[in-house]
Amino acid sequence: MYGRRASRLLREITCCEPGQITAFNSDTFEQVCNECNEHHQQLLSLIKKIEDEQLDMETTRNEEHYGAVIHHLSLLRNKRCLMAYMYNRAEIIQSMRWKIGPVLPKEIHEKLNYSEEEYFKNHSTAIESYMSELDLDLTVDMIPPKDPYIQVRVLYDIGDVLLGDHSTSLKQNSVHSLRRTDAEKFISQGLMEEFVG
Amino acid sequence: MARYYDLDDIITEDEGTSVIFQVGANGVGLLDPSSENNNVEKGSKVDLPFWLAHELYLRKAVTINFPACFNQKIRKEIQADAACVDLKIQCPYFYEFGCKIIPLTGDKTLGSFLQYAFTSRYKEALSKSHGAGTSPKFLNRLTIEETHLFEAARCSMINLKKWRLGGCRLEKAAILGRKRKSV
Repeated sequence: MYGRRASRLLREITCCEPGQITAFNSDTFEQVCNECNEHHQQLLSLIKKIEDEQLDMETTRNEEHYGAVIHHLSLLRNKRCLMAYMYNRAEIIQSMRWKIGPVLPKEIHEKLNYSEEEYFKNHSTAIESYMSELDLDLTVDMIPPKDPYIQVRVLYDIGDVLLGDHSTSLKQNSVHSLRRTDAEKFISQGLMEEFVG
Repeated sequence: MARYYDLDDIITEDEGTSVIFQVGANGVGLLDPSSENNNVEKGSKVDLPFWLAHELYLRKAVTINFPACFNQKIRKEIQADAACVDLKIQCPYFYEFGCKIIPLTGDKTLGSFLQYAFTSRYKEALSKSHGAGTSPKFLNRLTIEETHLFEAARCSMINLKKWRLGGCRLEKAAILGRKRKSV
């Protein structure tokens, strides 16, 4: 059936948990693109038939016309599916810049298509240049803070990090009191957790 | 075209609809498995996805048969005990698809039937979403639209509890996955 493959591509996105990204399915994507080309070829050959019979393109409503309409509609449908696939993934990729930061972990990086990597890089650069213009880090304090300092526990060895004007050694399982804005990015990357009690 | 990129909307339109061709169409034999040449004959009965059936209907190329998921049998089941009917197996996007099909069938009763089905099932879904455990059997009966509502209710309940108790407010980004890797 026409358009079946394209909708299978989209079902893949809806099946995984919201906000998660699936590996870019380049095989199916290619196949749908090829399907589009096939529809286009069929469409052209049907139109040619109408022209060969010297009929008026605009008013003719014969079998060829309806065949061409069906191919045209299938082409548009496939296009819509492909666009939606890219668009919905791009939304997630954008949100990753805000949640994880400018560097993506390897397991997510592997799931992206080449053009998506470029998109992420360019989006990231755009945000960074805007933030440096404002001289303000927009990605911190996404949740309104109650206190400028928080207690954190380090989950993985991070090593020596320059925070503010002095360097702190962030060893696994050590507990620190850090400025919230400094800790926030480590927490969202899963390297620290907020330490309560 | 407001929902051009909407995944749910696209998948809803994938729902099969049985139609009868009022015209012939050449070069599209794939649509009709019984066709011997590459054409669909006038008068043949074919299952088309809704997106195609709808457009062809607007061009007066096909007539649409009333979809089986809204037949009298289902209506009677809904009237008997709405909450117990497995609507997902009938059609995963029962309400959305219903709304899309109304203008094409001219059935005046379908709209009020959908509303009746939704309101009588909504109460049950809402009270269950706030309760502790829900059987997967119940969740499987919900349509996709109902599942979205169910999840929204459950999520807001969890957030409310979290807000009341206090505790961690900063969390690891959800996209990185919940599992903590062993070191």
